Amino acid sequence: MGAARLIFVTGKGGVGKTTVAAALAQHAAELGQRVLVIETASDGSLAQLFGHRKLSTAPQRLQAGVEAVHVDARQLVEEYFSRLLRFRWLSDRLLSSNTFNALTAAAPGVTEFLLLEKMLGWIEPGLMGRRRGYDMVIVDGPATGHAVKLLATPRRLAAMVAGGPIGKTARRLLALLADHQRTQVVLVSLPEEMAVRETIETQQALAVDLALHVARPIINRVFPRHFRAAEAERIEHDTSVPDGPVRAAARFAIACRREAERHIAHMRRALGVSPVLLRQLFAAEVHAGDLRVIGRTLGRVLLA
Amino acid sequence: MSTNPNVQSIGRGGTAALMPTLEGLLRKRLIVCVGCGGVGKTTTAAALALAGARHARRTAVITVDPARRLKDALGLEGLSVEPHRVSLEAGAYFDALALDTKRAFDALVQRFAPSAQAAERILANRLYQELSSELAGSAEYMAMEKLHELVHRHRYQLVIVDTPPSAHARDLLAAPNRLVNLLASRAVSLLQAPASLLAGASTAGRLTLSALLKALQRWTGFDLLRDLADFVSSFEHMIEGFSLRAEEVNRMLHAPTTAFVLVTTPEPHTVETTIEFHRELTSAGFAVAGIIANRVLAFPRLSDAEGATLAWEEPVRSKLLRNYAELHELSRRDRRALRHLHAETHAPLLAAVPAVSEAPTSMHGLERFAQLLMPL
Repeated sequence: MGAARLIFVTGKGGVGKTTVAAALAQHAAELGQRVLVIETASDGSLAQLFGHRKLSTAPQRLQAGVEAVHVDARQLVEEYFSRLLRFRWLSDRLLSSNTFNALTAAAPGVTEFLLLEKMLGWIEPGLMGRRRGYDMVIVDGPATGHAVKLLATPRRLAAMVAGGPIGKTARRLLALLADHQRTQVVLVSLPEEMAVRETIETQQALAVDLALHVARPIINRVFPRHFRAAEAERIEHDTSVPDGPVRAAARFAIACRREAERHIAHMRRALGVSPVLLRQLFAAEVHAGDLRVIGRTLGRVLLA
Repeated sequence: MSTNPNVQSIGRGGTAALMPTLEGLLRKRLIVCVGCGGVGKTTTAAALALAGARHARRTAVITVDPARRLKDALGLEGLSVEPHRVSLEAGAYFDALALDTKRAFDALVQRFAPSAQAAERILANRLYQELSSELAGSAEYMAMEKLHELVHRHRYQLVIVDTPPSAHARDLLAAPNRLVNLLASRAVSLLQAPASLLAGASTAGRLTLSALLKALQRWTGFDLLRDLADFVSSFEHMIEGFSLRAEEVNRMLHAPTTAFVLVTTPEPHTVETTIEFHRELTSAGFAVAGIIANRVLAFPRLSDAEGATLAWEEPVRSKLLRNYAELHELSRRDRRALRHLHAETHAPLLAAVPAVSEAPTSMHGLERFAQLLMPL
């Protein structure tokens, strides 16, 4: 009954975290792994990528080898305190009060801890498990700021709470996160100034401050490089050929690509590794075929 | 920087007729820019300020974004909580401010506290220190609070607020009332005497509650309850001042001289969030003047003639056509998204700003952006 590998995906809002998580899951499943994807946002985009409508709070099968589940922080907090208080009338009264909301807001780490504890149940199902556990758990994580807070929680708690079930769980989480063979964090970014800057800062916070294994960063939506240098030069400057919308579009694409390369180079210099590039998709929706191509690219880097 | 050449083609989409509304917007007294993170909200707010200044309005733009994006866009080092003058050509200017939520909150406490000692006590309270930066909506509250001061004290004709990226518009709108409600609620008395929660409870109930409180204390690492009670009693004297302010801010947000602008991109996920924002704003009775869409691609279908007369040899010719086809596909996606947005909200599209290959990070870039937003 082995424990699963953990891949934690995060990045700025709207960079394509879900696509990366889904593509990885699909690829790992094709390699024969049993994968669980944990969705922390509630927009339902993960289910849609696999042609389903919505995820529930119990794991459900999306396709062969891929299961997915939705975790809701607020619900976990309520469950936890209901359990702790045992009396239903008391917990109802407490949970509906502003006071309770203020208390959980003021006691940072409660929601984060409960979220991680829930995930741990799937990653390390324990020896009592009747069925085969997952080989890999992929977390389609929250946006960077919150993700850093989440991943810092076990360390903070382990230092604060010495004994008891909370302290024990915190130390188990800490061991899981610190194990570079088992756990890696994947940062997804875009070839844009703000996104790249945020990725560099996050990498520092995770790899240096928290000593986590941060994989090679991923830069999504990179414009393809259609034109050779000499061709681009002519398209941009050759005055002997008349202008028109097609040429203007090419200039736009060339400028976008050049701009993207500038940001990619910036990230490479700052982090000392080459980011994994995913190209801009042009179709209206992400197709299964696209997901497979992305999955293979990512698999080579992350699952090697 | 390369700009999308098809600015005109956006007009073909039917938005040209609506463009004058953007000028009408500048005649308002307060413009609140709302939208999710990463849509260019700060840049849009700054560009609107620039346009306001060009229209000879005494203008200020205020941002609460901790990422200091406005600072980047304006190429400013000194952007601070005090108005900072940004000079344009021909003597025109606008003022820019960045809001430090924590400092603004502290200032508010100092203003409303009954005495210097009382203020001191609150500021030193650990719970206050957590709450003032953590309490959901405090950044939003402070944005509203600061703009109230701007409108009333500095006599600006036009104030543009760049709101923090909230998950929900309601976080922003409820902000002025939230703190007051929390402090004035019956929950407060409960905090001062936690035992009252258990009036009539069994011994076992009492034991579980005390276990819970101990657990919470362990989480925070300090005497949470004592701090909370202390915090609440110190704040009690300030509730009236806060309530009054909150009411004024609310009135100001509902005034006919105030307009809300939704900033978005055509990205599907963003569009859905924008629709949700619009729903929340209108149902709360706020006036949404319209939508500004950033990073819109507009490469229309190529006419047969344009394709056939392309004066480039192979293989460049094929590559050019392929590139155009791709961008046209993205443009169609954008247009579909904006149509969907309009169908769901019926809000006018004030501007569809064409995508540029590079986000503005200099004053020059900002001027280009403003020009795209609102061609002179």
